[in-house]
Amino acid sequence: MHKIAEVEIQNDILIANKKLAKRNQRLLDKAGVFAIDFLGAVGSGKTTLIEKLIERMDFSIGVIAGDIISKFDAERFKRYNIPVVGLNTGKECHLDAHLVEHGLEDLPLDKIDLLFIENVGNLICPVDFDLGSHMRIVIISATEGDDTVQKHPLIFKEADLVVINKTDLADAVGADVDKMVDDVSKINPNVKVIKTSLKNNEGIEDVIEAILEAI
Amino acid sequence: MRWNSLHELSMADAIIKTVIDAAQKNDAIEVLEVTIEIGELTLLNPEQIKFILEVLSEDTILEGAKFNIEIIPAEIECSCGYKGKISADDELDHYNPLILCPSCGKGDFKIIDGRECNIKNIKIEKED
Repeated sequence: MHKIAEVEIQNDILIANKKLAKRNQRLLDKAGVFAIDFLGAVGSGKTTLIEKLIERMDFSIGVIAGDIISKFDAERFKRYNIPVVGLNTGKECHLDAHLVEHGLEDLPLDKIDLLFIENVGNLICPVDFDLGSHMRIVIISATEGDDTVQKHPLIFKEADLVVINKTDLADAVGADVDKMVDDVSKINPNVKVIKTSLKNNEGIEDVIEAILEAI
Repeated sequence: MRWNSLHELSMADAIIKTVIDAAQKNDAIEVLEVTIEIGELTLLNPEQIKFILEVLSEDTILEGAKFNIEIIPAEIECSCGYKGKISADDELDHYNPLILCPSCGKGDFKIIDGRECNIKNIKIEKED
């Protein structure tokens, strides 16, 4: 005879990721590392922003560069002679705490003060996955259109700092940058929003100041 | 269909692994039903999750199982004192709910519920 039984599981996959993220953060705290997760769409300027920060910030910096399959970003960071780990997610569209845990294993954490984690270019998938970082910076560009914020509210809700890049191109693409700033403030009233034109080195000092405040 | 490049795949994979583990621990011969709770504010598409679960179930103890997906409504605790459900803007799809406090109309709140991806329970067939 066979019988039917109901088994309680109550296992939340996202909470499992959160637990791993907390473990990552404990590991970082123990080593005295402040970690920042950079999120944004493909081409928003994540890699460029990180490069400019590496050039200007007087810290021992390490980088985890997340990408689907390429090593291009990791190679860009290696030029600065700093510890870099390239994480390939394969088919996945986001980094998760488990992948970052492996990335941390390959970094000399005791020699790093500041860790930059570049997430996969995407405004949707990474939102649900905490990595264990201390600060989340979301970078968008004016060229993505001034409705980008309204269309992706959750990523801005979770952000600790929002950077609106390529403001020099706003007129060319007919984007209203002030509207983007306003949309962010509606979703997340307490978050700081900084306008940048990274190509022209505009606004970077403000980003550095905001990071220093958070540390 | 581009489902294999979305994060639904990793979630579905984790769900299948957890269910197989639980089924084996409980000496199941077959898994008949799986009930999953998905929060309204996760960026997970329930239809895609269900589809991928069905594909991943093939040739496992879950093959042919019924997947029930229950949506957990979003609840917030606002700085204005409001605590409770919110209503998403109907003009935007589930990926992009515009979330504001229904009491004060602002966005200064904490999300309490609506971010789950919980395997609630499974129904299995086992030897008596």
